[in-house]
Amino acid sequence: MDNRGLVNLELSNLLLAFALILLAMALSRFQRLGQARKIGWAATRMVVQLLAVGYLLHVVFSVKTPLLVASILVVMAGFSLQVAGSQAKRRMPGFYRVMGSSILAGCGGVTFFFCALVVGYSPWYEPRYLIPLFGMILGNSMQGASLAAERLEAEIGERRDEIETALCLGATPRQAVEAALRNAFSAALIPTLNTMAAMGIVSLPGMMTGQILSGTEPVVAVRYQIAIMCAVSGGVAVTAFLLLMQGYRRYFTPAQQLRRWDES
Amino acid sequence: MAEKTSHDDRPTVQVEGIGLTRPDRQGLEAVILDKVSFSAAKGRITAIVGPSGGGKSSLIRLINRLDDPTAGRILLDGVDIAGLDPLLLRRKVAMVLQRPFMFPGTLLHNLQRPLVYRKEPVPTAESPVVRRTLELARLTPDLLERDARSLSVGQQQRASLARAVITSPPILLLDEPTSALDRPTGDQLAAALQDICRQQEMAVILVTHDLRLAGRIADDLIYLEAGRIREAGPAAEVLAEPASAEFKRFLAEPEEKE
Repeated sequence: MDNRGLVNLELSNLLLAFALILLAMALSRFQRLGQARKIGWAATRMVVQLLAVGYLLHVVFSVKTPLLVASILVVMAGFSLQVAGSQAKRRMPGFYRVMGSSILAGCGGVTFFFCALVVGYSPWYEPRYLIPLFGMILGNSMQGASLAAERLEAEIGERRDEIETALCLGATPRQAVEAALRNAFSAALIPTLNTMAAMGIVSLPGMMTGQILSGTEPVVAVRYQIAIMCAVSGGVAVTAFLLLMQGYRRYFTPAQQLRRWDES
Repeated sequence: MAEKTSHDDRPTVQVEGIGLTRPDRQGLEAVILDKVSFSAAKGRITAIVGPSGGGKSSLIRLINRLDDPTAGRILLDGVDIAGLDPLLLRRKVAMVLQRPFMFPGTLLHNLQRPLVYRKEPVPTAESPVVRRTLELARLTPDLLERDARSLSVGQQQRASLARAVITSPPILLLDEPTSALDRPTGDQLAAALQDICRQQEMAVILVTHDLRLAGRIADDLIYLEAGRIREAGPAAEVLAEPASAEFKRFLAEPEEKE
């Protein structure tokens, strides 16, 4: 196999790449589009955050005890939970508990299955593999679960008449919110399904591009990508499912009454 | 259908000393209902009338536990409903909400819903129960395959009545069933309701501010204003000779339809 290996980016190469950012800033300055400061700030943040992450990963990858790896995963999940919570316009009652447990069980379970059984390197908690994989599954699942939660909130708000009509006809809460659950689950899955459908034609996924750039045979990179897309879809579906199954109950009292809007 | 059984004199629904308070916008407890007591017997239509905002709708929502009262109790055949499984309670106490909601699908699908919820075999368009229910609700079989949402408001109102009674519940609650209807359509619904009550021996409790409807079909009448019962008794009597000043005033100047 022809393996040209990795082209190492020197500092001078990076500076040249940065010229593109300066170009973007210059364009918006000259055309008075007013985005120059935003671009500069975003680019600076990116550099600082990525450098920090690079060094952090360097340290993290040397961690060899499963407990420490697990606690890193929990911290990652905690951060994404906080981001999801602050972005939600209206949060369901008990949002953090519902979201947190769904994320931990959904993403944790899928990541473990993937790392321990599908990829099967040893030890399975090797941080060099586990952490980036978990990050990818977590990011997508969090997005999916947030979409599901937001949609569920909106659907239940709009469907009060429908839900109470169903309750009056002898439906369980689960039966009464069936249409809302279906739409919320679909909202969670759509971005992932769209990405999968467009993959390879509209876009080359970032990870695969990275692997190819760093010298991996494309066919191998493709296999990895397929496996990862399966893990991501699984993570999104399981997490959104767990969220919805716990979440809809929050809108009902123990006496199976739809909570009033002002108390939920 | 079973032949008419002998009348059981014990009331089916007994509402005893019901109070309901709810925090208002300032966080103060607003009194919605205060010491409300009445009973409703099977085979009779009880109309709860009164001005809007008087607590009528809040009151009947307590009887199938869409909400719970803050004081008092409601007995169903002598059993406190607070101790009953709300799901089983609602399968006995059907309720038609003010705005008829038709589920997506045909009228037949809508009529089948209550049986789907109960995981019971769903009746076909030809089954006797569907035919009989349609007839009671003054609907024709050719509507069964129509999209339920394309029916007229009057048809939808009768369809939601049919959907509520297809399982022959012993108790039926209705919240302003004629509020969206013009007079002839409202009269059709009233006739349907009367048939259902008599033939299925149901206890029907009906909330309305339509005095004409109440006078036409109610056996018993309760006048509720500002959360309290001001007048109660056989409908014909209290309408002919109201005792309370509040009810007299309401009879003299009934509210316009909303």
